[in-house]
Amino acid sequence: MNKSTYLYITIFAVVVGSMLAMQFRTASSDDLPVPFDRLQELTIEKKQLEKDVNQLQEEASDLEAKLEEAMISHAGAAGALESELYKIKLYAGLLPVVGPGVEVTLDNPSGAGLRYGENAGYIIKDEDLLRVLNDLRGAGAEAIAVNGQRILATSEVRLAGNHINVNLTRLSPPYKIIAIGNPGTLKSSLELKGGLAEYLSEQGALVNVETKEQIRVPAYDGSLRLEYAGPTQK
Amino acid sequence: MRSYKWAIILVGLVLGIMLAAQYRVTREIQANEVVQRAQELSTQIEKLKIDRDSFQKQVDELRSQLDEVTAGPQVSEIKEALEHARIEAGVSEVSGPGVEVTLNDSSVALKPGQNPNLYVLHDEDILRVLNELRAAGAEALSINGQRLLATTEVRCTGPTILLNKNKRLAPPYVITAIGNPDILESSLKMKGGVAETLQFWGIQVAVKKLPEVIVPAYSGGIRFEYAEAES
Repeated sequence: MNKSTYLYITIFAVVVGSMLAMQFRTASSDDLPVPFDRLQELTIEKKQLEKDVNQLQEEASDLEAKLEEAMISHAGAAGALESELYKIKLYAGLLPVVGPGVEVTLDNPSGAGLRYGENAGYIIKDEDLLRVLNDLRGAGAEAIAVNGQRILATSEVRLAGNHINVNLTRLSPPYKIIAIGNPGTLKSSLELKGGLAEYLSEQGALVNVETKEQIRVPAYDGSLRLEYAGPTQK
Repeated sequence: MRSYKWAIILVGLVLGIMLAAQYRVTREIQANEVVQRAQELSTQIEKLKIDRDSFQKQVDELRSQLDEVTAGPQVSEIKEALEHARIEAGVSEVSGPGVEVTLNDSSVALKPGQNPNLYVLHDEDILRVLNELRAAGAEALSINGQRLLATTEVRCTGPTILLNKNKRLAPPYVITAIGNPDILESSLKMKGGVAETLQFWGIQVAVKKLPEVIVPAYSGGIRFEYAEAES
């Protein structure tokens, strides 16, 4: 072997090496960036957390004020508890509320005047109602009632024959769902393309969504059943 | 022999430079705007979570302080009403007898051509299980430690579900419900019930009766932006 052989080997190695490096560079720059929807998700999560922190801060200062009031006198204590009870009842759905929102009407099709292809025997099921409620909640509904029955954290929606039971009360169609929240958001959550309103009308149900500037959602009027659950003893 | 050494030195030098260049390129990619933004957001989110938890703790403490300083026969009635309202609103931790329902994606090995979408858990399935439990008299409910409120939605987003606006949960989903354990269990397990339908798709449903379960309080603030009390 002579000098020129080593020289050739060297040149060869340099060329191969730089080719490899180039290759590596282009390959790795492709798959690293974060997809945009992940950024969007993170942004939404951050926004919601900021809201949570804000609300908790407010809640804390409100409680501090009540605590101070309660320390002063007996009357103050009763007053502070009273106003705290009022606030919690509002959250729990035990007080009537008013605000802007939507009114969704769901009805079974009547037998008369059916056009070709329409489903004659469609009966609105509990699942349909559950999904409407879920969509409204997802769109930020703050208070919901179905035919005057306020939806609580423990409210059930169950089919019983041609009726639907909510809060152990029998409701019959048409079902009128009233939700308070941003009217535009609530309406579009149901009416988006391929959404629930489209699906239900295709099934043959009569669906109507109307935005309202001011509606009233009644309070839960039954008694709270709390036989089993109790606050955790600390 | 001398020229051999020189060749090695040359190769070594070139390789070293290439490595350094390579390293710099990857560093540049990491410093890419989008990645940087994501990392920034993640750190901010972590910080916010810590903040939220500390405020949550403060609020909890203030609530129990308020309960402590107020005593006497004239307020005992209000206090009882307050306790019940808090449970219904989901702002206090509760415990009692109940069930723990575990739901997991299908274990069925798919045959080619079968639609995998049919064999995974959907938000609807969870909604139905929750609805059955409510109908059976569940007094407080949570999924994977997230308290269910009157305004809680359940949404499918890819392999995870989203509830209470931004809480992302991954399977298995453990639903905790307080109520009469026997009634709760049988409401799910009855013939033609939810458990049977779900098992048809291979979705794993396990119901466990427990003498004592804990349903945590809702973590986060509650405030109505649109709804206000009727005056």
